[in-house]
Amino acid sequence: MLRIPCPWCGTRDEVEFRYRGDATRSRPAAERALEELTRYVYSRENPLGWHLEWWLHVGGCRRLLKIERHTLSHEIRWVGAPDAMPPAGKAS
Amino acid sequence: MRKTPVSGPESAITLATCPVDIVELAAFRERASDLARLAARRDIVLAGPGATAAHSGRLTLSVRPDRWLLLMPPAAPGASAEHCRQLCEGSAAAVDLSSALAAFLLTGPTVPEMLARACRLDLETRAFPAGRAAATILVQVPAILAQLAAGTLLLTPTTTARHLHEWLVETARPFGLALAPDATVSALCAEAST
Amino acid sequence: MTGPARIAQGLLTDPARPLAFRFDGAQLQGLAGDTLASALLANGRRLVGRSFKYHRPRGIVTAGCEEPCALVDLVDAAGGEPNRLATTLALHEGLVAVSQNRWPSLELDLLAVNDLLGRFLPAGFYYKTFMAPGWAWERVYEPLIRRAAGLGRLEARVTDHAAPAEIVHDHADVLVVGAGSAGLAAAAALGAAGLRVLLADQDVVPGGGTLLDARWSDWREEMCRRISALPAVRALARTTVLGAYGHGVFAALETLTPGERARFGGLRERLRIVRARRVLFACGASERLIAFPGNDVPGVMLAGAALGYLRRYGVAVGLRPAFFLNNDEAYEAVFALAEARVRAAAVIDSRPGAVAARRAQEAGIEVITDAVVTRVLGRRSVRAVRVAARNGSTRCVDADCLLMSGGHSPITSLACQLGARLEWHDGIAAFTADPPLAVGRAAGAARGIYGLAAAALDGATAARALAAELGRTVPPLPAGPVPPSDRDATPVAPLWEVRAPGKAFVDLQNDVTADDVRLACREGYEHVEHMKRFTTCGMATDQGRIGGVAAAAVLAEARGAPLPEVGQVKPRPFAEPVPFAALAGGEVRGHFKPKRRLPLHEWHERAGATFVNTGLWLRPLVYTQAAGWDAVLDEARAVRRSVGITDVSTLGKIDVQGPDAARFLDFVYANTFSTLAVGRARYGIMLREDGLLFDDGTTSRLGPTHFLVTTTTANSAAALEHLEFHQQSVCRNLDVLLTDVCDQWAQFAVAGPHAREVVALVVGDLDLTNAAFPFMAVAEARIAGIAGRLFRISFSGELAYELAVPAGAARTAWEAVLAAGRRYGIRPYGLDALNTLRIEKGHVTTAELNGNTTADDLGFQRMLKKSGDFIGRALATRPGLTAPDRLQLVGVRPVDRAHRLRNGMHLVAPGSPTASLGYVTSSTPSVELEGWVGLALLAGGRQRIGTRLLGTSPIHDESTEVEVVSPHMLDAENTRVRS
Repeated sequence: MLRIPCPWCGTRDEVEFRYRGDATRSRPAAERALEELTRYVYSRENPLGWHLEWWLHVGGCRRLLKIERHTLSHEIRWVGAPDAMPPAGKAS
Repeated sequence: MRKTPVSGPESAITLATCPVDIVELAAFRERASDLARLAARRDIVLAGPGATAAHSGRLTLSVRPDRWLLLMPPAAPGASAEHCRQLCEGSAAAVDLSSALAAFLLTGPTVPEMLARACRLDLETRAFPAGRAAATILVQVPAILAQLAAGTLLLTPTTTARHLHEWLVETARPFGLALAPDATVSALCAEAST
Repeated sequence: MTGPARIAQGLLTDPARPLAFRFDGAQLQGLAGDTLASALLANGRRLVGRSFKYHRPRGIVTAGCEEPCALVDLVDAAGGEPNRLATTLALHEGLVAVSQNRWPSLELDLLAVNDLLGRFLPAGFYYKTFMAPGWAWERVYEPLIRRAAGLGRLEARVTDHAAPAEIVHDHADVLVVGAGSAGLAAAAALGAAGLRVLLADQDVVPGGGTLLDARWSDWREEMCRRISALPAVRALARTTVLGAYGHGVFAALETLTPGERARFGGLRERLRIVRARRVLFACGASERLIAFPGNDVPGVMLAGAALGYLRRYGVAVGLRPAFFLNNDEAYEAVFALAEARVRAAAVIDSRPGAVAARRAQEAGIEVITDAVVTRVLGRRSVRAVRVAARNGSTRCVDADCLLMSGGHSPITSLACQLGARLEWHDGIAAFTADPPLAVGRAAGAARGIYGLAAAALDGATAARALAAELGRTVPPLPAGPVPPSDRDATPVAPLWEVRAPGKAFVDLQNDVTADDVRLACREGYEHVEHMKRFTTCGMATDQGRIGGVAAAAVLAEARGAPLPEVGQVKPRPFAEPVPFAALAGGEVRGHFKPKRRLPLHEWHERAGATFVNTGLWLRPLVYTQAAGWDAVLDEARAVRRSVGITDVSTLGKIDVQGPDAARFLDFVYANTFSTLAVGRARYGIMLREDGLLFDDGTTSRLGPTHFLVTTTTANSAAALEHLEFHQQSVCRNLDVLLTDVCDQWAQFAVAGPHAREVVALVVGDLDLTNAAFPFMAVAEARIAGIAGRLFRISFSGELAYELAVPAGAARTAWEAVLAAGRRYGIRPYGLDALNTLRIEKGHVTTAELNGNTTADDLGFQRMLKKSGDFIGRALATRPGLTAPDRLQLVGVRPVDRAHRLRNGMHLVAPGSPTASLGYVTSSTPSVELEGWVGLALLAGGRQRIGTRLLGTSPIHDESTEVEVVSPHMLDAENTRVRS
């Protein structure tokens, strides 16, 4: 079980959150090539290591969090607002 | 389902329903300070993050950023919300939740121990002292908890309120449960007696 | 009286309280405080089961949770269960237990022939032998294996718990696992530093190893006194920490005392989920077996267990014990038994000499040094042991039990679950594992610091370090009773296996021998984890706790690799077997899911409604308890002919406000809302980003910057999350607020040709003429005097209004409508009638919005706006999502009007009955049309309108010819809704 440090609510159990997918992708405008949108929707890196993810705190403040989590150890080393980026910025 | 003897009154838990009107004030972008100013004009203090504030017979809770739940004595359906809409002057959305949230008040020294059968938050006095509020999940349904001088206030969606109430009654029974008369907003706002 | 082997006063047993119990039909007596195992031993019962594979007689080996053999079926009225450990099962009056895995009886087990066939049943036997033919698995091999193997039996009488379990959530600064000398010292120090401590110990009383040494009782009592005086320290006995899950989360199982059990309504166990900032593993060490031929004969036990039975329960496990050991710690049992006048037949020490051996000899006990046991004589009980000395001499020692000790292993399973690495220490011939410092520490025997005094000191030291990490200081503590210092000891000398003819077990529960481990190595399963899976060594409920290192050592020798390099099998949760009921907690049966009730639930109940579960909701299906379609059709007919009312409060409702509200809705919906006039509603569809349909519903514009979105009942939570996610990510620059108002509003549809007259009576002064309040109009209204909202929208296809009032006033509004409609014969209608009406009309629900359909499939293609971005826009244009041969929405009717349709019925061409062209998604008998009508998703469906297909439901053995029609089977011109 993850314990996720929500910046608003404090550290909470994983059951309060809904995973909303890969946060390394940003949505291209619809006018862009279909290929680019297809990549946005379907293609994922599946890294072993640090990963940026969306988690929605549905059981608490209902805020959307951007979280940097290690996919092997589950360590969470950074949590931020949707428009923020982790200091290392090396998540892929 | 569980048949249990009632333990001594010193450890008893009381459970009361709170007839209240609840309006959510949600500030528009960068209007939170305007809202606080407008509220103050009507003698309403907006609570800080994760906190409660009682002032002139009204209670505010903050469990979401830039949103406040305002608890008031019950009025005609929609009247409290309309009152709040005027107060906001466009700085915030005032949404009536009087019928959306049911309010219960729990008192007794063993309330944290009883609630730990569902609540994943640390409700021990040092971790969750009077004046704190939090949104979480209890028995699979959303719940807002607030620690008041009067006891532990619990807000939960009305359509699952019976489910939660039944759970509270059943779970509190081994601790010694007494159903108490309705608690008013002014009772919720009461300061701790010394 | 309570057994011939009860030779002394035990620490835990109460001689004044005898308890009667039954084992395998025999009526026996034990004492309050006994475990089933100690009571059996007190009665001289040694044989308690047959082994898993070879059906060899097995006895009690240990005195705790590491027990591999003494598993019994509990069959008493208090809630029986298979596979209970006799060594931890508290005895109670009337307990009834039976042995396992024997047929027909424990004394005479015919399947023991497996033992003689042992050389043909090596490890991996099942994998290699039962290969082919495939059919034989089901008919021959599996029944055969099932009869021969396995442990306890699950039978109806023992699977259903009399009482549910419960889950409790705990929080602590420090979780201390184990209340031995290290744990007690640490908890007292941490508590004195002002930290919140949870001290969990699996034993019935705290003390751990101090319980076995009378000199430590004053110290233990003082520590317990200090701890109970610290309110921030909670000490839980009978609580086993089962798993460590990272992020400071641990699971622990607490067994309730009889008193607590009565208070909590018969609850037997409590699963505790602990969140701790730091953990201190003070869980001690466990004694190891030695692999030698016959090390499984009843009467061969761990030396420490014999000490435990004597000190704790006053029971001598034998009256003439032989000892086989390689370490000084195990001599405690020799001395303690001697003190109780149970003289050792001989002590066989594999070392050439030791401090403890000399002490024993000085006390007149025979010690055979530099020797090993090569054979155990006796089959159902130890009679004698054969001893071989290194110098080549052999002899036989008569004994009624053999107490072995292969040294001790620090208990590292929880630390390893947290990623701690094993580290080998020659000094103790054992692995230790220190958890990462950010997680916690280990102290005392759990990290290889043996001796009660050394462990207590180590616990206090660890506590000071933990307190400092958490920003606290341990104050100087008052001097307690000075604990006795530990005796000098000669270090353990590794001894894992005695190679001699016969089966030498490394895993007693799964019947794995040292030879099996070597076979695994020869077969190429050289990694310790591969060896485990090939031999099943360590895969039983005891996880091979007493033999794991020996197995690894045998493997190391076979590989020619050092033991530290081979390592040990990774332990996994749970550290001990856990009943499923304890994991499920209270959320079972009626409490499995919350029930969501409509604001008018009680009214519907009184009106005689049959309820149906849809998601969490309880919804009225039809207002009768009678089965059949008659009542449904009566309700639907009332709507078509006159007027009806239904509760649609389950629809998701989201309040959307803000200067950018319209822009936001334009983005999340496929159609446009910014052009919607205030006071109007519009039907909208939402796509997922991959272009498939997500949800539908009407959205009303209540003000220039204020909208009310409705979503389907089934999708309401998901739709809210979908909108919130986009509002906070892609649309985070828009000033818009979303609020869930689902529970705030009760909403009723009033539908039928007389709907206008009825609604007019309820809403008072609102002008409801078509000119003033046309189809899709919305207004604030006073409904029966209550401030509410009126929508002219229709799901039934009739002239209809939806009335919304705050849920608290639902009853007033609903009853006002019923009163107003009485002269028109208004009827409440349920979900079934609602479905009948919408199917006839060709309206879709989640049966059609099923996550696989596109806007084009359901005929919504023209709703996709041409300009402006929206979710799913680009990918919806992919050719595959608009291909003409996709499953498209159509209507179907049986050609023979007397035939019925079924949901899920496949549609096939008469010539090729095995190729499905599509299926029926919704079906109902119709009120307006003759016979049944249905909606279907059909390949290239729009092109097939007018053709005939076969509808077939093989599971009902039904087939009927159907005609494919437009889904709009009723009032295709939409005149009724606008009337």
